[in-house]
Amino acid sequence: MRQGEVGGAASGLRERIRAFIVETFFVDGFGDEDSFLARGIIDSMGLVQLVTFLEHDLGIRVDDDELLPENLDSLARVTAFAGRKLGR
Amino acid sequence: MCGIAGFTFPAGPESPREAQGGRLARMVASLRHRGPDAQRGLLLDGVALGHARLAVVDLAGGAQPMRDPETGVALVFNGEIFNHVELRRQLDGYPFRTRSDTEVLLAAFLTWGIESVRRFVGQFAFAVWDPRDRSLWLARDPVGIAPLVYALEEAAIAFASEAKALFSGGFRRAAIDPRGLAQSLTLWAPVAPTTSFAGVQALPPACWARWDGARLDVRPYWEPDFDAVEPVDDATAARQVAELLDDAVRLRLRADVPVGAYLSGGLDSSLLCSHAQEQLGGSLRTFSIAFGDQKLDERRHQEEVVAALRTEHRAVEIAAREIGDLLPAAVDHAEQAIVRTAPAPMLRLSRLVHDEGLRVVLTGEGADEIFWGYDLFREAKVRDAWARRPRSGRWRLLLPALHPSLPHAAQPAAILAEVYGAGLSDPDQPAFSHLVRWSASGRLLRFLSASVAEAVAAEDPIVSALGALSERSRRTRLLARAQMLEMRTLLPGYLLGAQGDRMLMAASVEGRYPYLDHRLIELAARLPDRVKLRAMREKRVLRQCARGRLPASILARPKFPYRAPIAWVLAGPEAPCWAAELLSPDAVRAAGLFDAAKVSRLVEKARAVGSALSEADAMALVSIATSQLLWAGFVQSMPRPADVAPVSLEAA
Repeated sequence: MRQGEVGGAASGLRERIRAFIVETFFVDGFGDEDSFLARGIIDSMGLVQLVTFLEHDLGIRVDDDELLPENLDSLARVTAFAGRKLGR
Repeated sequence: MCGIAGFTFPAGPESPREAQGGRLARMVASLRHRGPDAQRGLLLDGVALGHARLAVVDLAGGAQPMRDPETGVALVFNGEIFNHVELRRQLDGYPFRTRSDTEVLLAAFLTWGIESVRRFVGQFAFAVWDPRDRSLWLARDPVGIAPLVYALEEAAIAFASEAKALFSGGFRRAAIDPRGLAQSLTLWAPVAPTTSFAGVQALPPACWARWDGARLDVRPYWEPDFDAVEPVDDATAARQVAELLDDAVRLRLRADVPVGAYLSGGLDSSLLCSHAQEQLGGSLRTFSIAFGDQKLDERRHQEEVVAALRTEHRAVEIAAREIGDLLPAAVDHAEQAIVRTAPAPMLRLSRLVHDEGLRVVLTGEGADEIFWGYDLFREAKVRDAWARRPRSGRWRLLLPALHPSLPHAAQPAAILAEVYGAGLSDPDQPAFSHLVRWSASGRLLRFLSASVAEAVAAEDPIVSALGALSERSRRTRLLARAQMLEMRTLLPGYLLGAQGDRMLMAASVEGRYPYLDHRLIELAARLPDRVKLRAMREKRVLRQCARGRLPASILARPKFPYRAPIAWVLAGPEAPCWAAELLSPDAVRAAGLFDAAKVSRLVEKARAVGSALSEADAMALVSIATSQLLWAGFVQSMPRPADVAPVSLEAA
């Protein structure tokens, strides 16, 4: 996690991803650091939907070897991963 | 099986007999589907007993309610005591007047008291009124095949096979119990004593209860003993299981009407049919469900077994559209919300059996519980090994194989590890085996309305599930504990209830379950673990029993979960009108169970993505739709007026 990067662009990205998760998985309150899988926010099939969102809506190409909990398993992790991929 | 109902009331000459009679008649009439052959009621001083009969044994002499002329002890009984012939011999002092198992139950109660339930090989729910001390006894079979619910009043109790009889009798006005709903959404069914309805309780399996006029004393009387494992070799185990299974089938073919069988095409039902066909000398009739969708259909395997066993076979192909049409009746009979559509095809299947003129079928339910056939057992085993040796990477290789039939099996190992890593820090916690499953289904709770969510804030379905286990079961070893959790939650509440008895009796058909013979459950519990599950191979002993009896391809089949189509049934272009109506924001708000905005989004999503709807969303959709049906059928509308004319009442 790159805490130093919580600037305008990163927070906009995070809110966009959060909105997708709230809309798609019908979940309300969850923290940035909450594990999606361990907390039951998203199941493993849901991660596939999340990856599809990253690719189609954010224009990020996710390689197979990047399908890791470190990259995907919390809002903070996804935001950081997407930020890296977008070169922010 | 039949339907029973009754209630106690203040004794004495002032008691309004006519009103009590009317109440009883309405209760019995509401259960006519369970017993179309006769509906009778008996009014005694202080108790009303009613019975709807599906005649299967002693067609002429088995009428109920049955009363012992000497003591006045009276009985209503739903189910079968399969070893009634043997018990009758032990009761030779009793002046039997019929050859029914009902009278054997009555004589057994008079001779041995309520503890006679331990001697029964059967499936039963009954009520006995003993005027000598004015007590009402209730009891339910060891696994919960026959249903029994009750409502407690200040100084009275009302009981029935189904809750609708309590509503028809005016003992309760139907209201959804938020706890029951939360349990349905997490565990797939309410855990007894909780039901879907507030103020309606279920007698748990393997319990009897005594009402003394002021309180109900509920006692468990049976559970398998997993601590007395006998070190038998594989061949001996297979011989023991084959012999007892053969006997369990033999007892369940006892009837004065023909007995057929359900055949799924899997190992369990095929093995069962093989025993039945052998004993019947070739006259077995079998029945199957077929789906147009290849991913769900098992027809090829069914036909293979039919050809090998030479049974007279009927299959009914069920279209997605039909499932939507069947669901209202399925929920009306199940009396609970369901997370899968699977009960609906079972309703269609029982109607087929009824239309073919049969009223009794054998079914293979139970083998996956007692011989550890479910993926759940393998999952628990792998997770346990992982928890105890976290550094070993071997479990990682096994994760994708845990649930080969589920789409997520193809996920990267690192993600699977997150999915299956729940609760690893404490593998000894009692619910360890079920944590992954229950946390997945628990996601449905997020659709609850704010008021229901608040009402169930203190309800933890996992705690409720564990509450159904004895202290001994909570402490036994992992896989035995997992079996007991299955046997106290999913098996009675969903598989034998919503998908079993309720769908069968809806068409006046009785299901019989040889694998759930309590002697076989006890034997399976005594067998070494490796006989059931060795490495990742499940139900080994049954495979061995089936060798030479069934085609090799059936023996080699992995467990194939029975599933039915979901999403487009409820939200697609083929959705029935009731679904559109009950899933509308107005109806969702009126019922007050779910968050209307979330439900609208879910329905839109289901319409947009169709069959690509995720498993979690599909389960949510089915749960919400069937909860809405439950509300509309029981809470919103008044109890349906049943025709009481055919109910014959007798007073004594």
